[in-house]
Amino acid sequence: MATEAGERVFLRKASGLIKSASNTDVFIYDVGLVSIGLGLGFLLFFGPAVYLGGNLYVGTLLAGGAMLLVGLGMLTWTIVIPRSGGIYNFGTRSMWPPLAFTLSFVEVTAWLFYGSFGAVYLAQLGIAPAVSATGILTDRPGIESFGTDLAGEWGTFLIASSALIIGAIILGSGMRRFFFTQKVMFTVAALGTLVFLGTLIVTSRAEFVSNFNGVMGDRLGVGDDAYNGVIGAATSAGWSDPGFDLKQTILLANWAFLPLIGAAFSISIGGEIKQVGRGQTLGILGAIFGSVIVWLISFALIYRTMGSDFLGSVTYSNLNGVEGAATPVTPFPTLLTGLGADSVTLTVLIALGFIGWIWLWIPTQILYPTRAIVAWSLDRVAPDKLGTVSERTHTPIPAIVLCLAGGIAFVGMLAFTTYFQLVIFIELAVLAWAIVLLAGVFFPYRRPDIYEKSPLANMKIAGLPIMSVACALGAIAAFLFFFNLFFDDFAAGHSRHSMSVLIGWFVGAFCLYWIMWFIRRRQGVNVNLAFKEIPIE
Amino acid sequence: MFRKRDSGGELAIFFATDLHGSNVCFKKFVNAGRFYGATVLILGGDVTGKMMVPIARQKDGSYLSWFAGKRVRLEADDEVASFEARISDMGFYPKVMSEEEFQELRDDPEGQEALFHELIRSRLEEWIEYARPRLAEQQLKCYAAPGNDDAFFVDELLAESGAIELLEGRVVEVGGLEMLTTGWSNETPWKTERETSETELRAMIVEMIDRLEHPENAIFNIHVPPHATALDQCAKLDEDLRPVSSGGNPVMTSAGSTAVRELIEAHQPLLGLHGHIHEGRGIARVARTVCVNPGSNYSEGILNGSLIRLGKGKVRDVHLTQG
Repeated sequence: MATEAGERVFLRKASGLIKSASNTDVFIYDVGLVSIGLGLGFLLFFGPAVYLGGNLYVGTLLAGGAMLLVGLGMLTWTIVIPRSGGIYNFGTRSMWPPLAFTLSFVEVTAWLFYGSFGAVYLAQLGIAPAVSATGILTDRPGIESFGTDLAGEWGTFLIASSALIIGAIILGSGMRRFFFTQKVMFTVAALGTLVFLGTLIVTSRAEFVSNFNGVMGDRLGVGDDAYNGVIGAATSAGWSDPGFDLKQTILLANWAFLPLIGAAFSISIGGEIKQVGRGQTLGILGAIFGSVIVWLISFALIYRTMGSDFLGSVTYSNLNGVEGAATPVTPFPTLLTGLGADSVTLTVLIALGFIGWIWLWIPTQILYPTRAIVAWSLDRVAPDKLGTVSERTHTPIPAIVLCLAGGIAFVGMLAFTTYFQLVIFIELAVLAWAIVLLAGVFFPYRRPDIYEKSPLANMKIAGLPIMSVACALGAIAAFLFFFNLFFDDFAAGHSRHSMSVLIGWFVGAFCLYWIMWFIRRRQGVNVNLAFKEIPIE
Repeated sequence: MFRKRDSGGELAIFFATDLHGSNVCFKKFVNAGRFYGATVLILGGDVTGKMMVPIARQKDGSYLSWFAGKRVRLEADDEVASFEARISDMGFYPKVMSEEEFQELRDDPEGQEALFHELIRSRLEEWIEYARPRLAEQQLKCYAAPGNDDAFFVDELLAESGAIELLEGRVVEVGGLEMLTTGWSNETPWKTERETSETELRAMIVEMIDRLEHPENAIFNIHVPPHATALDQCAKLDEDLRPVSSGGNPVMTSAGSTAVRELIEAHQPLLGLHGHIHEGRGIARVARTVCVNPGSNYSEGILNGSLIRLGKGKVRDVHLTQG
């Protein structure tokens, strides 16, 4: 029997006709990947200390605006090609297959690195400072010292590697367990953020100064008035507030843009969202707006409670090891909030929330690459074994193990060497996204067979396909932030060794494609045909 | 795979499934043999589309229709023709009618069903006419089977076509290998045309297995994939057919058939050809059997397929394609 759907169509009784996934689900997915807590940490820790004269509010709004354009471009891609797997699907339909694979490989390694980066921060900025702070507040030097050890090279390596292993085990044991743990950690993270904001609201500047002096007075070598002593010592050592500086503000925006990229990660699950237009729009745009709003509110509260001079001085002193003014724990604002309230309970709750935000990244940054690796394997540009899915858990164990090994290798490099600038691989991923967005500008003209079947087919702006316009704006924003990272020596930069990493990774990925092409050729397989459209005669 | 024709006793099969009425996907399927170098084409079940799109003529001479959740107004006849072609490629059935006829049809479920049958029949007849000369020219053997979404009259159309050989319920020889086929599935939430209990499905397949001389060297062409494999993973639905989510992500579940899995495990045929779960694109091993589900992206006009090379009593290579 046929039934009416919508206003003017009729449906047969047939399988697969399901209602849309909750739009809220997509929103939570994207917000979780922004990691509001870690973004807040980056901005408040690096911003005032490194980018002197940079304005957090303006920098965050700049990044939010740019990510909005990138998000809109990606939104058009995922509406036109509603498939799971991220930019690999977009690339293989719009550009030369070796280039599409190269971009996908670069993107995948970037997110893997990002996961390792998160795991390292879990140790250095999450667990270790929380342990040290607990030792300080309970006046137990042994615990305080243990926390310091945890932030060392081996402590970092062991904690971060363990986190990756746990994340991989959860992923390998099945998606249901993964979803459950993500849900739990999202709840912990959100509650921790509420406690953090609530604590800031009820703590006055005078209370904060008094408690900070009480806790840190004996530990720092800047006198009993540790609060002003830190500002004085940092100023003497070179920190200053020169007033608004546009260049530093633009560079500072990198640290807001970086986590905001996660807002568009739902492109990796496009195939699982039925009303992809509405769901993705709410997810991507909602995550950007929501994150930016929480950050702006947090900045205002932090400045009100701690003062901007103090925040800049205490973070500057820690990063530069200013004599007598470097706090024994990393002065992450979330941690300072707990210390400033002089409460072990609040400190632990806020720290747990922060750890929760970081955790949300770790397994997901392994999950995203594994989906792409399985797609490569199915397209025969990666070994067949990597596409194997466990019958018991229905997860791609070999791909997960490969990602875990890569992730641990990255952790080792981050913990024991200074080879990588902080976010050098993100520079690569942003470039890959920029190129895919650029391809999107021409997609409606190059592949009308696909575009004209999409819901965007009849939408135009100034006579141009909406996808062309959105992707053009997104590509411009992504290229601008690529260059912003390029000229930010602290975050990524363009030093000789940064460039060698960047170029080497692209060239390596490109070579990998041709190695697989050659191997498959010897097996009688022409992988290029897999991406070509069958001609209709 | 992708070799120009098979050699040395090798059999190259191109298998696609779940086209759901897509004109462009069917045409690609017919041309896939030449493109990939396959000698046998097998079309899996669910050949019919799911949605009818009335294009209602208005009093002012324009036409009103519906596309991607929005009203579409078409002014000229060439716009109507272009719209019809576009949605036919996506697997939908356009039907030009007056606004009065459309309004009457809204309250007439039986009339809708009759019209659906008429449009499905017409589409399949067009397909057969398209395929006949091209398959003959390429000297390709083409097999097809219906799926759980297909009405029973589809069997008659395919059987009478002369160009495509109907497989449903039969054991046939393909390149020296025996192949059994059914488009029936286990029960689904949608209560479709050809679904039944696991017990009855098992009995149907066992009846065909009994007709095989060498089950271990056979091809099991069964629309529904084996249970609990990578080929049968799809979104779990609640009673309202809404995807169940957890932690902000859709919960996946196994929708395949336990009977199919048990029978494959028991007889371990050479190859399993499956479809049904569009998002279950992949290759899985059940015991020694290589099971394939090329998945489906019919509404995007992309033909998902699989090119399978068989030779010397084994599956030599399986390549999932997107044409």
